[in-house]
Amino acid sequence: MSTAPKKESILDLQKFLGKGISVKFTGGREVQGILKGYDPLVNITLDQCEEYIRDPQDPLNVTNEKRYLGLVVCRGSSVMMVCPMEGCEEIDNPYLDQVEGATEES
Amino acid sequence: MLPLSLLRTGQGHQIMVELKNGETYNGILVNCDNWMNINMRTVIRTSKDSDKFWKLQGCYIRGNTIKYITVPDEIIDLVAEEEQKQQQQQQQQLQQQHHHHQDKPMGRGRGSGVGRGRGGNQNDGNMGRGRGGGGGDQQGSYRGGRGGRGGGSDRGGDRGRS
Repeated sequence: MSTAPKKESILDLQKFLGKGISVKFTGGREVQGILKGYDPLVNITLDQCEEYIRDPQDPLNVTNEKRYLGLVVCRGSSVMMVCPMEGCEEIDNPYLDQVEGATEES
Repeated sequence: MLPLSLLRTGQGHQIMVELKNGETYNGILVNCDNWMNINMRTVIRTSKDSDKFWKLQGCYIRGNTIKYITVPDEIIDLVAEEEQKQQQQQQQQLQQQHHHHQDKPMGRGRGSGVGRGRGGNQNDGNMGRGRGGGGGDQQGSYRGGRGGRGGGSDRGGDRGRS
């Protein structure tokens, strides 16, 4: 019945099902949880969801404090960024070497 | 040179995406779509004030939160090449379509013609045999009768008056 073959989403959330993902929302909220489900609009169901508490002075920055939300449905229209928790870590400035190298060269 | 085709051409290249909130994402563009939603891998995320950094295996960014994207310079040459290729493909397709259009009416003509011919012949044959034959005989006999009657009455009338 469908007119054209459905274009597959460029985001393959299938491979993250049952795994931890981190989701950022427009407005600055950021949560992490276990992906339970999703749809083509990137509405997302997260289990054991935790929200990072934001800095009251600067709501765009998150702190390391968390609060537990439980089972959550994230609305796709406000999902800004999705990334797997696996292999996600805070690191030191990776550009410092390059900047120093550039200044040394010049 | 359309922005989105430029971005599509940049697939597999290192790009930098700045979001409306000031965060930047440096990574290799894996895929993008018509909404500028972006899929990247081996990403380094930089906070708004460039004071925090994260390494991500991959990430998906919603297109409407993007402020701008920087792509490597060499993409511009690739885009030109791809546009040429696409134009060639389009021309080829057009030519093929043209051929198809020429072929299609012939195909229809043959197909429907054969169909009509068969169906029509059978019907015509039956109808012709049944009605046509009988009608011919009937008409012939009526004409003969009329001619005879008419002639007879006219003559009779003439005779009577005269």
